[in-house]
Amino acid sequence: MPELTSVANEFLRTEIEQFVERPDERERLIALYAGASERMQSMSAALVEGEHLLVDALAREALADGVPALEIMDDGLIAGMALVGIKFRENFIFVPEVLACARAMKAGMSYIEPILSESGIEPIATVVMGTVKGDLHDIGKNLCTMMLRGAGFEVIDLGVDTSPDDFIDAVEEHRPALLGMSALLTTTMPNMGVTIEAFIDAELRDEIGIMVGGAPVTQDFAEDMGADGYGKDAVACVELAKRLAEAEKHRVEA
Amino acid sequence: MTEVQGGREFLTIGENVHTTRVLVRGGPGTGEDGCGRETVVFADMDGNPRSLTVPDAEKEAQAYIEGRIRHVKIAVDAGLAEDEQVESARAYLEAMALRQVDAGAHFLDVNVDEISPRLDKQQRAMRWLVELLAPISPVPLSIDSSNLAIIEAGFEAAAGRGPTPMLNSASLERLDALDLAAETGSWVIVTAAGDSGMPEGAAERVTNAAEMVEHATARGIPLERLAIDPLVFPISVDGRFVNHCLDAIRTLRQRLGPEIRITGGMSNVSFGLPHRRLLNEVFILLAVEAGADSGIIDPISSPPARVLVADRSTRRFRLAMDVLTGADEHCRAFLKAYRAGEIEEQTD
Repeated sequence: MPELTSVANEFLRTEIEQFVERPDERERLIALYAGASERMQSMSAALVEGEHLLVDALAREALADGVPALEIMDDGLIAGMALVGIKFRENFIFVPEVLACARAMKAGMSYIEPILSESGIEPIATVVMGTVKGDLHDIGKNLCTMMLRGAGFEVIDLGVDTSPDDFIDAVEEHRPALLGMSALLTTTMPNMGVTIEAFIDAELRDEIGIMVGGAPVTQDFAEDMGADGYGKDAVACVELAKRLAEAEKHRVEA
Repeated sequence: MTEVQGGREFLTIGENVHTTRVLVRGGPGTGEDGCGRETVVFADMDGNPRSLTVPDAEKEAQAYIEGRIRHVKIAVDAGLAEDEQVESARAYLEAMALRQVDAGAHFLDVNVDEISPRLDKQQRAMRWLVELLAPISPVPLSIDSSNLAIIEAGFEAAAGRGPTPMLNSASLERLDALDLAAETGSWVIVTAAGDSGMPEGAAERVTNAAEMVEHATARGIPLERLAIDPLVFPISVDGRFVNHCLDAIRTLRQRLGPEIRITGGMSNVSFGLPHRRLLNEVFILLAVEAGADSGIIDPISSPPARVLVADRSTRRFRLAMDVLTGADEHCRAFLKAYRAGEIEEQTD
């Protein structure tokens, strides 16, 4: 098991010591940072502090120096976000601060995304994403979108307040393998079920894998409303998307 | 002192009977029974100490894993299942309702949307809750749902069991709800939501709400049974959100006159931030200054009689004020003060 001292960046060491209590998470983060170059550790640190201008500059410089785009994304950006997620869950940081971190991640991703999409690597699958009707809160959805793109998915992001018809139109137009819906409000969460019903009515439900997430959503709710999966955060969303995309591929081939 | 615009009393709609409500595990209102099982503790209306056991099923929920106990949901679930806790569950919800009335609530808002994604279960929960609370509540209920079918279930259950409830809410995409309000002669909250989504700024709120008022009056619903909800969004997400809402309140009050009530789910404002009660209370004050004269609030923790005369000279008040006006960008100063322990808890 790697020791905390194997993380060169002092800021990250202090953060882990102060904010990450669960041994499994501690171990995972230490391994993550210890395995990254010091330069990428600095980028993670800047992201955790929500310094979007600094992350922007660091990403640009790293690319210019030939650091691979994937390394910047995984070791500099996503690694930083892992710590942000834990701090948020444990109430050490709050929504405005998570938004600042998300903005920093977006700054870095703005250089990475075009490179990944030009690299000619076939996307794993296409995902249509949106917050459901009535819901304007897109922090989580935006994070998922970034992480999915980073993980090699093509994402059609419909933004906020997406009606069932808009989801259906997008699915008919882009023919994605997956659909991702998020809701932050308890009052809008039922619109996930409404949207799934609309897909059943439009006879499109069997064409796609549907994943849901957001603060009030639970595994039980996801199952009850007839979704194919639930992700508790952006990292889980990527894992779920990979699993569902694989299942979809088998279904289409079968 | 709860006098607001026009010299009338602030209309308090108690928000506590919502299945979204949570207690912090190990915090106030929680405890352990003799067998070491986690419980929600309370005093029933006779003052006897009682408890509700947190069921094992709830322990698999993410809310619980992250340290929160959905106490109202636990009680309503127990009531629906008619399990061994049903009597405690009834006593819990009754006490929760009546304590709000003691604290000055004029209406008791009930919302069960969260109980399940299934409409039939949501309707059953609403019926059960209304049958429980309507006969014992000295004030009308407010039947709150994002789905008219659930509101209808609540209205059916309330018929013949005390005063006509308030309907929360109707909006441009849910005009049918106004028909129900007109038929039953109920109070109705109309929201500023658009016919295909949420309003963006102040102007859109004003347009939508004014249109709703027209639709309501066209159905014969008088202004004195109407309340506008301009829709309160969390300030943590965008520093302009409170100003949008307050500007809309000012314009609506000016345009529609003193008679109509202007209310709102005030505690939405503090979502995603610490010291929620402080932020909620300063926001209620700002909303009232702008022309609101009602709120869907927790009257026990934030009684209007105290909130409306808050001391504005304190540091905590000014810090909260700066968050709400958007002056404290990204809530930096507020969160810094919070971490330094410089925002003391309300002592009363």
